Amino acid sequence: MKITQQATDTSLTLNLDGELDASSSVILDTELSKPEVLDYQKILIDCQRLNYISSAGLGVFISHLQRLQDANVKLIFYNMQEKVHNVFEILGLDSLMTIVPTQAEAVAI
Amino acid sequence: MSLRQKLQTAVLPLTILSWLVLLYCTLSAASPTLAEQLGKPAAWVALVAQAGFAAGVFLYQRNLPDPLRGTDFTGLLRRLLLGPGVLASVCVGLHLLERFIQAEAPSNDRVFFAVIYTINLALFIIFLAGTNYTWRSLVLFRAPTHLRREWLWFELLLGATLLFRLLNWAPTGLLAYPVMGGLALFGIYLSGNQKWVAYLNRRQKWEVVLLQSGLLLCMGVFVVYFLRIEHDPKLVAPAPQHAFLLLTVFFATFYSLVGLLVTFFNLPTAGVFEQKREEILSLQRLTQLIQKGQTEKEIYSTLFDSAVQTVGADAAWLTLDAPVDGYSGQYFNIEPEQSAAIHSLLTDYNLGHIEYLNNDLDNSSGFRSLKLPFSSMIVMPLRSTKRRYGSLYMLKDQRHGFDRENLGILQTFTSQTVLSIENLQLLQASIENERVQEELKIASAVQDSLIPKTLPTDNWFEISSFALAAKEVGGDFYDFLHLPGRRLAILVGDVSGKGVTAAFHVAQMKGIFHALMQENPLARNDREKFPVPSRFMSQANTALIHCLEKSSFITASLYIIDYEHGGFVFARAGHCHTLYYHSIKEEVSYFRTAGLGLGIIRNDSYEKHIKNQFYDYNPGDVMVVYTDGIVEARGAKQEEYGEERLQRVLERTYYLEAEEIKQHILSDLAEFSHGQPVHDDQTLLVIKFKAVQPDSHS
Repeated sequence: MKITQQATDTSLTLNLDGELDASSSVILDTELSKPEVLDYQKILIDCQRLNYISSAGLGVFISHLQRLQDANVKLIFYNMQEKVHNVFEILGLDSLMTIVPTQAEAVAI
Repeated sequence: MSLRQKLQTAVLPLTILSWLVLLYCTLSAASPTLAEQLGKPAAWVALVAQAGFAAGVFLYQRNLPDPLRGTDFTGLLRRLLLGPGVLASVCVGLHLLERFIQAEAPSNDRVFFAVIYTINLALFIIFLAGTNYTWRSLVLFRAPTHLRREWLWFELLLGATLLFRLLNWAPTGLLAYPVMGGLALFGIYLSGNQKWVAYLNRRQKWEVVLLQSGLLLCMGVFVVYFLRIEHDPKLVAPAPQHAFLLLTVFFATFYSLVGLLVTFFNLPTAGVFEQKREEILSLQRLTQLIQKGQTEKEIYSTLFDSAVQTVGADAAWLTLDAPVDGYSGQYFNIEPEQSAAIHSLLTDYNLGHIEYLNNDLDNSSGFRSLKLPFSSMIVMPLRSTKRRYGSLYMLKDQRHGFDRENLGILQTFTSQTVLSIENLQLLQASIENERVQEELKIASAVQDSLIPKTLPTDNWFEISSFALAAKEVGGDFYDFLHLPGRRLAILVGDVSGKGVTAAFHVAQMKGIFHALMQENPLARNDREKFPVPSRFMSQANTALIHCLEKSSFITASLYIIDYEHGGFVFARAGHCHTLYYHSIKEEVSYFRTAGLGLGIIRNDSYEKHIKNQFYDYNPGDVMVVYTDGIVEARGAKQEEYGEERLQRVLERTYYLEAEEIKQHILSDLAEFSHGQPVHDDQTLLVIKFKAVQPDSHS
């Protein structure tokens, strides 16, 4: 798993590349745990190259969900592959998290 | 008895006989009256007797067992000296007796003189034989084969010189010198084999010097005696075997002399040799002791004591980086404050963690300022390739107290110690590992007992199950509960993560299931006596909030099947979709209902995210309930098994019995993921509804 990021004044974009499993989810957790994350209005997760997400990977987003909501930071996923979206859907996370098809839509929110 | 053995037993009697014949010959030569009475023997008889006696004594001595026992060289020499010492004393005694008698009653009686001479000659030959064969033991001590062969030749050539006299032929003039000189050189060459001296310690070397001197003295006594009487007019005995005796005397003396000198000149180096020996011995001792050591502390103590003793340190200390069982090192002749000062100085010089030898501490201003009573120091770290354990410090009062060898021996000591310590740690780790494995086995057995062994049976459905944990304990679970009114509750679920943590939550879920599925006494009607699935999930979510860690969640599906009414209700909390065969539509599809996993939302709003789904089943319908370990199983190209493939299997097999359908699914899965490891726990339940049985109404 490779995570790259771009930041603007208001948003932070994380590009996830590869498989988000038990070991790589630790890296993601480190990124999301940084205090400066809460300074942005939006955290955008680019899932274009995310091939697989394990329950540990889901756990990272779940554990940060409340914290981000409390700080009024929006968590937005976009470019999600069908099978990854399916995992979010089965678990019911699509009702809790904002998942949009394209980057343009993600930025527009 | 072989001929060789027979000859050997005959040697002693023949030797004694030879001597008696020689005595007779001597007496007859000395006393004409005796010769007249007994008859005068021919000249050759005396010569044969003389040669036979010498050969017999040497052969007899040669056949005795090797007098050398192990490496007891001083014992060997002591026994040798005792024999010749006695012989020489007898010789001197007899000679003095003879002189005394001569002085008291001067006579021209040559008989007594001749007897004494013959006895002394015998004693001398015995002495020479004993000495030569003792030297043989020393020359051949750990000798190579060629030396043994050379010794045999030496013996044969010496024996041949016996014949000189016997054949009444002696190499004369020009020939005598090369023959005798050659043999003498051979003896000198053999005298160079003094390997045994190296095995003596200082005390033994002194002892050997004294013993060799004593031996040479005995030799001198005999030689002086024979030289004195050689020209005595009373001597009428046949001339002795000059060549043979001369050569053996020469060899015996020369070997003894060389041995004495070698030993003597080895004395100054004996200390070094002994030190080396001591080092080797203490290393052996250390190795043995260390292997006996049961604890790290014992091993470190053994190292410390051995090191101090071996290098002869005046002061020393050992510190460990991490104390073990309260042991952090030990001190010898040094105050902890002093050692701390030295340590901090070394750390300042950046020498704290390397091998370091300083033989002139006063030369360094830093050490001078500490005003230490020591002038030499060695620092030896205890380390393996993996880690450092501590350091050993050795100190001596005098300058240049340590040498490279001390450093080498300490290196060997410390590496041996580190090896033993790591062995001990490995042993402890393997015991600990075994214990953990044992506990995992117990955990596995406990979890196994949580899975229902007997599946519910009734005549209106068939049920078949499969469960496989990827590790000893897993995160998948399923359970059944019969409810009043011909109802059956089925719970299937999966705790995120694997292993022991997941297994704890499995047990928790089982507890929650049984606790919540209790009859509510306040219920207004039968329907409300037990919670509907969505209510159950909501209550379970609340129960889990406080014990599930933040990044963990649980997915579950609860089905309550009501046979009385031919229907079921279920709620899906983030769990895999239920696969279903509708017999009336002859169609296989998934119930794609919404529902959030447990432990994701940690407040009251969960109830909004879970829904109940009602369905009226028909006989022949098939329900397939599973966990993500099935649909996310990987194939050869890391692709997932997937919902579609599962659906297709059911489309082919829906008409079979529940057990057969399950088998088909599992064999298709096995074919798909052939050769791939099982990453996740797998659970599969197949439920088939059957037509009404006439006798089923109770």
